[in-house]
Amino acid sequence: MVKNLTTIAILSGLILVMVGVTNLLGVRLFDRIAINLCIALVLVLGLQVFMGNSGILSFAHIGFMGIGAYTTAVLTIPIRMKGMSLPDLYPIVAGIELSPYVAILLGGLVAAAVAAAVSYPLMRLSDAAAVITSFALLVVLHTVMTHWSEVTNGPRTLFGLPRATDLNLAAGAAILAVVAAVAFKESRTGLLLRSSRDDEVAAGAMGAHIPRLRWQAFILSALFAGIGGALWGHFITSFSPKAFFLKETFVILGMLVIGGANTVTGAVFGAIIVTVTFESLRALEAGINQAKIFSEQVVGLTEIVLALAMIAVLVLRPGGLFATHEIGALIRRRVRKKKDG
Amino acid sequence: MLEVAGLQVAYGAIRAVRDVSLTLAEGELVTLLGANGAGKSSTLMCVAGALPAAAGSIRLEGKDVTSARPETMARSGVATVPETRDVFPDLTVDENLQLGAYTRRNDSRGVAEDRARMLEMFPVLAERYGQPAGTLSGGEQQMLVIARAMMSRPRILLLDEPSLGLAPTIVDRIFEMIATLKDSGLTILLVEQNASKALAVADRAYVMRLGRIEAEGTAAEIAAATDLRALYLAG
Amino acid sequence: MSFFLQFMIDVLSLGGAYALMALGLVIVYGILRLVNFAYGELIMVAGYTMYLTSGSGLPWLVMAAVAVLMAMLAGIATDYVAFRPVRAKSVTAVLITSFAFSTLLQNAALLFISPRPRNVPLPEIFSETVQFAGVITPARNLITIATAVVMLALFSWLMRRTVLGIAMRAAATNFTMARMLGVPANLVISSAFAISGLLAGVVSMLWIGRIGAVVPGIGLEPLLIAFIATVIGGMRSLQGAVLGGFLLAFMDTTLNFTLPQDLLKFRDAFTFSLVILILLWRPQGLIKGPASGQRT
Repeated sequence: MVKNLTTIAILSGLILVMVGVTNLLGVRLFDRIAINLCIALVLVLGLQVFMGNSGILSFAHIGFMGIGAYTTAVLTIPIRMKGMSLPDLYPIVAGIELSPYVAILLGGLVAAAVAAAVSYPLMRLSDAAAVITSFALLVVLHTVMTHWSEVTNGPRTLFGLPRATDLNLAAGAAILAVVAAVAFKESRTGLLLRSSRDDEVAAGAMGAHIPRLRWQAFILSALFAGIGGALWGHFITSFSPKAFFLKETFVILGMLVIGGANTVTGAVFGAIIVTVTFESLRALEAGINQAKIFSEQVVGLTEIVLALAMIAVLVLRPGGLFATHEIGALIRRRVRKKKDG
Repeated sequence: MLEVAGLQVAYGAIRAVRDVSLTLAEGELVTLLGANGAGKSSTLMCVAGALPAAAGSIRLEGKDVTSARPETMARSGVATVPETRDVFPDLTVDENLQLGAYTRRNDSRGVAEDRARMLEMFPVLAERYGQPAGTLSGGEQQMLVIARAMMSRPRILLLDEPSLGLAPTIVDRIFEMIATLKDSGLTILLVEQNASKALAVADRAYVMRLGRIEAEGTAAEIAAATDLRALYLAG
Repeated sequence: MSFFLQFMIDVLSLGGAYALMALGLVIVYGILRLVNFAYGELIMVAGYTMYLTSGSGLPWLVMAAVAVLMAMLAGIATDYVAFRPVRAKSVTAVLITSFAFSTLLQNAALLFISPRPRNVPLPEIFSETVQFAGVITPARNLITIATAVVMLALFSWLMRRTVLGIAMRAAATNFTMARMLGVPANLVISSAFAISGLLAGVVSMLWIGRIGAVVPGIGLEPLLIAFIATVIGGMRSLQGAVLGGFLLAFMDTTLNFTLPQDLLKFRDAFTFSLVILILLWRPQGLIKGPASGQRT
């Protein structure tokens, strides 16, 4: 128990320090990066809740992020703008204009509800079948987002979301996500699920209903993704379905794999490391492009570095940077050793 | 020819083989006896290269082959017939035999001769030549697996429970064959639960219990040791 | 009658391409249990090779052969970069490295070539049309059918009549046993990736022949098609993959003729929902593959 609280304290402290430093510096660029990082934290922790505890790879996560973002968009775009942003919107919802804070929560809930409705039968599957179905689910969600013009404005950019996500809100959500992820991991469901990850047969013999456990984790994971997507929507204020597909899946997955999928600490550090690296590389790309060193625009460098880093981590340290122990446990052990020594 | 010393094999935290040392001289038929779970099969699969050794050594004609890859062991002349009777069910009988000769695939004439010899030795296989091996009966599959192993012209044959789950008449046929193979000069390590059958054809025997060698001796000695019989030998 | 013939040509040419795509994915999955997400990028590599050699003045067939060869090399590279170093670890690790390798190749194309489409040289005959029995059809449809027939025959010969092919089929059911007969694991694995690359390279020529240009994301659609076809056909059965390819082409073509425009844009959602349903019903795919064995 103490070690879990230590973990939560350290990880939240990290986020708070970042917020403090960013506010102190007052540079707009850093502000943007910090908000992006906090949103990424919510998303990665969501994926960790499912993948880390169940051991099953899910590609569908970003699809639920999209559901959250579109839900909040439909509910918050000012009524007078809806005619432009979503000309074909159903009249029933066209007259709604909620506070973004309520809508962000609703975004999470809708994503969780969709996950609850579609995913239960999928949770029986393991291995390749599980991966392909989650991939197929992502494609289905993406196709629906791209073509359901009434609600999403089709493949075109949807604009007009009020800007509501500031650093404090994003950081608050990230801290809540840390607490929830640790709490879930240590809950009875989390424990049983983790034992099923290590030995499916034995956990089943202990009386664990594995599909049900996975399902609970998946719904919670989708809730995080929906909230993360909604927060992002109110930060970026305009987006298109392209934002919720393979490229983003890859980034979020990369953060989790590099940090270590099995631990909350891993998810947090993975998100931080990848975001910082990404932003530096992006700045480098922009610098190169501005200096016109090459005739063409430089794009794709960041993804190449991330891909190489992921492969390197999986080869050299298959469990990621924090493979089994949370930071709280690691620090407490070190403290104890010092006392003994 | 084959020397195993202090061998240990582990599955995760479970050590199936704790301490096994045995030798196998050229032309000898040695049997490894013991109850279910004694670690016989794990020992054999480790010699075959299919399981890594956690400790100890395996030497083949003086050369260290501990934890060598299975394909390396096959190329060094060790042929394995695993307990699970692994025919390739979707491949035809002919294709199974052809694969048996994989290590000498450049010697097409020799392979053809051996194939003819095997079909003569196992007429049943000749009848089912073009059928998928999965359609064969248990006894036929066992014959196919042995014939397939012989296609590589091995110097050592590792046989794991060849009698498992077969009808008594078929078991007799299989042991007759094992005797014939021994007479042809082949070196054989035979893992068996059916002790009386195995001791009848073997030169020497080792008895395993809980991952260790508990007794060794000539086949006659082990067969005569009634205390062993009561303790470890099933059947 | 001519409508029927037209329909058949459409189904067979589309199905031929789909079948080759599916086969390239299944050959790796069947033996290694690896869902190779970098498969689409093999098609991309062949496409960019065509673009890069287009100024060389070589005959088209020579350029195509070089492109196919590059796809095979890229396939073997997948083995060395994404599969071999992590193969003893977890299934998830292998999936993620193949996904990472896919992103790596795509972004390398973005970075070193261009995000914009690049033209690929096509032989004259690809843009000609043929008229017979009251049907007008692009010649490339007939070329696709012929190529598919030749490739399937070649593939079948390779898998049935050569020792390597028999060894690969054996490895697909029981890799360890095949190794105990002396079949080297690395040879089988590299061969599977090389054959996958060969099929991808050939598919690439046919696929790009439809659009005449290559972009970094060109591999996604073939990858998705191969997924669906293999799930329909059985994820571990080679014959199933071929059958799945033709069935999918039949479905697609039928939907194109019958579905109203409004629903047609949701076609992917329908087919992928179907994929999910099939996997729920039969996690091994519709047609059962060979008895399952362990990975190395």
